[in-house]
Amino acid sequence: MTLTTIRGLLRAAAFAATTTLFASAAHADQLADIKKKGEIVIGVLGTDEPNSFVDPKTRDVIGYEVDLGKAIAKKIGVKPVFKQLAVAARIPELQQGHVDLLAASLTHNKERESQIDFSLTTFVTGQKVLVKKASGITQLPQLAGKKVLTVKGGTQEPNIRKAVPSVDVVTFETTQQAFLALQQGKGVGYVNDEASLIDDFAKLGAANKDYLILPQSISVEPLALGIKKGESALKAVVDDTLRELEAGGEADKLFVKWYGPATKLKFEKREFKFVSDKVDG
Amino acid sequence: MSFDASLLLAGPYHTMLLAGLVLTLQLTAATLVLALPLAIGVALLRLAPAAPLRWAGAGFVEAIRNVPLLAHMLFWYFGAPELLPDALKERLYAGNIEAISAVCALTLYTAAFMAEDVRSGIRAIPSVQMEAGRALGLGFLATMRLVILPQALRVTVPPLISQTLNLWKNTSIATVIGVAELMYQAAKVESATFRSVEAFAFATASYLSVSLAITAAAALYHRRFPVRTL
Repeated sequence: MTLTTIRGLLRAAAFAATTTLFASAAHADQLADIKKKGEIVIGVLGTDEPNSFVDPKTRDVIGYEVDLGKAIAKKIGVKPVFKQLAVAARIPELQQGHVDLLAASLTHNKERESQIDFSLTTFVTGQKVLVKKASGITQLPQLAGKKVLTVKGGTQEPNIRKAVPSVDVVTFETTQQAFLALQQGKGVGYVNDEASLIDDFAKLGAANKDYLILPQSISVEPLALGIKKGESALKAVVDDTLRELEAGGEADKLFVKWYGPATKLKFEKREFKFVSDKVDG
Repeated sequence: MSFDASLLLAGPYHTMLLAGLVLTLQLTAATLVLALPLAIGVALLRLAPAAPLRWAGAGFVEAIRNVPLLAHMLFWYFGAPELLPDALKERLYAGNIEAISAVCALTLYTAAFMAEDVRSGIRAIPSVQMEAGRALGLGFLATMRLVILPQALRVTVPPLISQTLNLWKNTSIATVIGVAELMYQAAKVESATFRSVEAFAFATASYLSVSLAITAAAALYHRRFPVRTL
């Protein structure tokens, strides 16, 4: 194949990509479409307790973000349909219109604002590192040159590289595979959102005496729901629902239900509110 | 968003993608070197005079080729190494356990398919040749080595090349166990830059050009060493 043919092919591919973009842009109001089909497809992870995970008894996807999704569907007056996504597939699936809304432990940051829109912040978590005590590591800088494990396509990898530049990162399809690899000793640390780490730590049961969550956060992560770029009508409904949940005290109840003292996570206080869709970093 | 080739031609993302391509080539080469002798061994087992040996060969092939490669990968990374003694396990985990597990999975998987091709190649050689070798006083293995295999492997080269093509593409499955091969690096560039088209265009072009090179090598071999009339 000659270079010109390759160039021609690439141009054709780029052309196809742009046409798709235009086609979806012409298709303006997603909210109207959702009402017309009578259901809203919400992308969740389904592997990240307590945000969204599969209930072992009923096999349904449940969790904090699932409840938020249900509240939004109720407000619009349609049926919620939950679709499980891989971490790396979240933004592409939303952009291609395979899901209407992302409720998938999604970090809201400046880089992503050029790709999609975000709702009001629905949760704030730090990212931390879980290590085995036997490794002797107690501080972040000691991870220099060591192998740490995390999930593909999230903010975990760039954040740990920023915090410890010389670290060696190996990524997997789900957080639970990375966590299993840590337990098996295939790396010294496992990077994840603090809330998920506390949950994983609790899952270890009696064995958790051999593990330690490093005290320093590598970043502060505001989580939000993801909305396709420019769908302002849908964003308005989503934000209104969140504001109503906050005003009616439902937001507090949801926090206590999934993160509160009676749960594995044992968070004492809710240190954020559903008020802003602005982030710093 | 237009196609931006500059990130493929220089800079950190170029380096990442290139490192992925190199590792993919290394995985293919290491697997090929290990799988080919294993495949010949298994093919000989399947044609051995003693029934238990034939059963062992057939057991190997059926047990491996009927399970998806993805399951093999996960087993050789998360499962098998856990059965090793602790000291050995620690030494293994301190090294590049991801790549080692991937080569194990790919070697067994590729060998199972190649063994069947080698077996067909051997069966294509008329049985009188084996009988002639035995009549000359050679044993089963000596007849195989001196008479049958040199002819059989020549017949087997085209299907083996096709298995090599499969192997080259199968290396992409190793991304699930954290091996930093081409697909892994392309996904990494995608999530860092949101430039999916560019990242996967590089991966596609790489897979395609190496595949075409392998096919060209096959055609060249076929012309230089045509199958002798049997």
